[in-house]
Amino acid sequence: MTKKQLFETAENWFHLQGWKPFAFQKETWAAYLKGQHGLLNAPTGSGKTYALWFPIVLSYIKNNPNYKTKHQKGLKAIWITPLRALSQEIKQSAERITNELGTQMTVGIRTGDTSTKERARQKTTMPDLLITTPESLQLLLSSKGYEKVFKNCEAIVVDEWHELLGTKRGIQMELGLSRLKTICNDLRVWGISATIGNLEQAREVLLGPNTGALDNSVLIKAKLNKKITVKSIIPKKMETFPWRGHLGLHLLEAVVPIINNSKTTLLFTNTRSQCEIWFQKILEKHPEYAGEIAMHHGSINKETRLWVEQAIRNESLKAVVCTSSLDLGVDFAPVETVIQIGGPKGVARFLQRAGRSGHSPGKESVIYFMPTHAIELIEASALQKAVKTEAVEDRLPYLNSYDVLIQYLTTLAVSDGFYPHEIYPEIKQTFCYQAVTEEQWQWLLNFLVMGSQSLSSYDEYKKVEVEDDGKFKVNNRGMAMRHRFQIGTIVGDANIAVRYQKGGYIGSIEESFISKLTAGDVFTFAGRNLEFIRIKGMQAHVRNSSKRTNKIPSWMGGRLSFSAQMSKLLREELYTAERDASKQSKEIKALAPLFAKQRTESIVPKPDEFLIETFKTRDGYHHIFYPFEGRGVHEAMSSLLAYRISLLSPITCSLAFNDYGFELLSDKVIDIQAILDNNLFTTQYMLDDLQKSLNSNEMARRRFRDIAVISGMVFTGYPDKGIKMKHLQSSSQLLFDVFKDFEADNLLFQQAFTETFEHQLEEGRLRMALERIASQKIKWQACQNPTPFSFPIITDRLREKLSTEKLADRIKRMTKILNK
Amino acid sequence: MTQTLHILNTEFVLHPLGGVFWIDQSLLLISDVHLGKVAHFRKFGAAVPRKAVHKNFMLLDKLVAHFKPFHICFLGDLFHSSLNKEWQLFENWVAKTPSKISLVTGNHDIIAPEKFDALEIEQYQELIVKDFLLTHHPEERESYFNFCGHIHPAIRLQGFGRQRLRLPCFFKSTHQLILPAFGEFTGTHVLKPNKSDEVYVIVENEVVKV
Repeated sequence: MTKKQLFETAENWFHLQGWKPFAFQKETWAAYLKGQHGLLNAPTGSGKTYALWFPIVLSYIKNNPNYKTKHQKGLKAIWITPLRALSQEIKQSAERITNELGTQMTVGIRTGDTSTKERARQKTTMPDLLITTPESLQLLLSSKGYEKVFKNCEAIVVDEWHELLGTKRGIQMELGLSRLKTICNDLRVWGISATIGNLEQAREVLLGPNTGALDNSVLIKAKLNKKITVKSIIPKKMETFPWRGHLGLHLLEAVVPIINNSKTTLLFTNTRSQCEIWFQKILEKHPEYAGEIAMHHGSINKETRLWVEQAIRNESLKAVVCTSSLDLGVDFAPVETVIQIGGPKGVARFLQRAGRSGHSPGKESVIYFMPTHAIELIEASALQKAVKTEAVEDRLPYLNSYDVLIQYLTTLAVSDGFYPHEIYPEIKQTFCYQAVTEEQWQWLLNFLVMGSQSLSSYDEYKKVEVEDDGKFKVNNRGMAMRHRFQIGTIVGDANIAVRYQKGGYIGSIEESFISKLTAGDVFTFAGRNLEFIRIKGMQAHVRNSSKRTNKIPSWMGGRLSFSAQMSKLLREELYTAERDASKQSKEIKALAPLFAKQRTESIVPKPDEFLIETFKTRDGYHHIFYPFEGRGVHEAMSSLLAYRISLLSPITCSLAFNDYGFELLSDKVIDIQAILDNNLFTTQYMLDDLQKSLNSNEMARRRFRDIAVISGMVFTGYPDKGIKMKHLQSSSQLLFDVFKDFEADNLLFQQAFTETFEHQLEEGRLRMALERIASQKIKWQACQNPTPFSFPIITDRLREKLSTEKLADRIKRMTKILNK
Repeated sequence: MTQTLHILNTEFVLHPLGGVFWIDQSLLLISDVHLGKVAHFRKFGAAVPRKAVHKNFMLLDKLVAHFKPFHICFLGDLFHSSLNKEWQLFENWVAKTPSKISLVTGNHDIIAPEKFDALEIEQYQELIVKDFLLTHHPEERESYFNFCGHIHPAIRLQGFGRQRLRLPCFFKSTHQLILPAFGEFTGTHVLKPNKSDEVYVIVENEVVKV
């Protein structure tokens, strides 16, 4: 068939559905059929799956003229999704095409949920189109004879690439692609990404810098002209609206009319515990909603989640309280309104959530922003501007992540083994490892084989062996099995299944929460009050309880930092507080009582002023700085400043930060005048000081946790799989100390520091922020009481520690308090 | 800097490396050394720095040199795992250490008794010396004071300015003293002291009573 005939086939199909293909869909088909690679920038629910499934099927039709009668077996395309929950949807849309165009192509799924029976079946005959996750793709690379399986694969599509980019799963993907590019005879690599700040870079990372694939590629943008309206929910009585907090239950009644006035409403919360609480409280206050509202988050069992998703489609639900679990995938046409409770921590995410409503083309998306405490109203106002200018964040890709490379090389050694001279050029083509030197490569190979850089006669280290012809191979079956269990880059707390005694599965909770419970304790989970009975194996047994409780499992939500643009918008918004009311947004106007209160104790800074507040509470001496530069910059600046202060005299302090400012909390007064006199905000020696500051706090130590697990130095164990690895478990914390004492030059140990540095502490923005502060007037306010601005910061429990004092001195002060 | 402690009119010295020395008996108690752990991990493909293997022996030497005990008694979990090449290092250490050595076996001690016999190390389920009961697992027995290990005790301290610390310790209750784990590369378990408990934390090179 000619290209024209193929296009007609596709367009006919669209007409039969009563649709018309979008320009971006046709553009993608054309590029694909020309043999190009590319990145498609399209939001969820825009028809992106049809943009890529179609050309894949059309290409098959083109190559197999008698496709209706004769089935050419074997894997032809791989679709990667970051969430296995989405795989069913993707399969359905693929099957619609393959069936209705009359091909005999098969579609299959392979994820962690796939049964062993199904997997074994796939081993003998792969489906034509395979839907899988980055981890499962790696697992395929760890099975014997994988090269043959992929040989005739023509396309790989990485869906939701923006979710993977900037994570270690993204690197895993880069490595997988680097291998597939070699072993597939004729491969097209495609990515699909929502809008992010660095789309061009996203394409480069996907396809590899300086590769032929990148040269022969396109970036296609779906211009859908979606209208997004952001509305803030402003509390009627500002005086009683809290200064801190993240639950936002004060405004529960303001949400009710919105729910009533719309067909289906999604309420996005930031954490699973917040989701549980909101669901409970709505039902408590409005029992009339019983049966009409539901809850959806990642720890609830799969059946319930699927049921909720289906109920949204059937329009049988009035509202769903959810978390980021509903951010991706799945089209919900009936959703009319979205409510975001609390700061969404990112413009891109906010836009994505807004896009969940008014799905049909041409319809406007409406999102309400509901602040959980007063200062978030400033954010609400800034967010509206950010949505207009699409000030979305970048997703910063990783460089030189040795841990993922070690895991990948072991994966290859587990399956068919590898020859370094073949793999080295492949990884050099990836974005992540483009700068790896031959020395570093040799270091990694030594590490794999000897567990160190030199041989020792009495050492029994065993992992990868070098065979006579130079092939790197894992020959020990136990070793191979342990490695397969460990494949993956998401490191989390162990999860415990929550079940009724008779066996009904409710969901899973982090072990750290369960371990704090004693028998008889009641906690809320999945919308139920449950009484804890006992732990058995990796299961927690519970029964229903009628007792009320305030115990709700909390999960750490990812905390994203605002982009430079968004931080600027936030600052500008705040500065309008000191301007004429006519130049203020209604959110800022509403905050007038808060600003008044702030002025009685301190000031509201103007654009040329840098505010520092100090005061004492029961907790200790608070020193608060307000650069308004976003969380990431504040984290770095607090670490830098605390380190520099410690050079004047040893201190111990705890650091807290949010998007507005940061705090140094200490048991002694810090001399602010000395900070100013010694010019501690200087950009001179900034890098050096920042690096040194990492030695006295725990950021790198925390980073090391993931590195140790990913590189296979720490076994997490899989008790639910019945494999005993307890004798091999250790904590990465212990390991960190051992490395510090004995092998500080180890690349994996070093990586913990470079990662903190590059990924957490955004050096470039820090420099600009310090330069800005240098041009400002310092306004140091010695206050009697905490100010409204300081409240969200000083009440933050997630803190960083820094100490340069002798431990014994600290203990002696602590024991004095104990003995008082 | 050590701490001296009187229990049942008997003088004991607590050492910051984690040993307890009974002066009259010239008996040094050490618990939970977990030798062989590093080698065991490496054997199974976890690349714990190799140099860490020697640290335990260096620390043992330091402790023995300080007290010059007539008798050393390990309170269990001397070896972390099944036999590996770290045993050879242990043999060397035993050969050059003049003290008599015995072992109260712990849950981790799975190496064949014959191997210890060959080194003339006596092994016991428990050991009673005068009014003192030496065990691996904590035990309460009337009219005895119990020295034991197993728990790897630590406590948590809090201070002004939201300061928190977690430190390994000697944990003493009315009839019992739990020794901290001696070994490098072993974890700790936090205990909460009662009013009647005494806690001696290990801070850098000091034993400090809190």
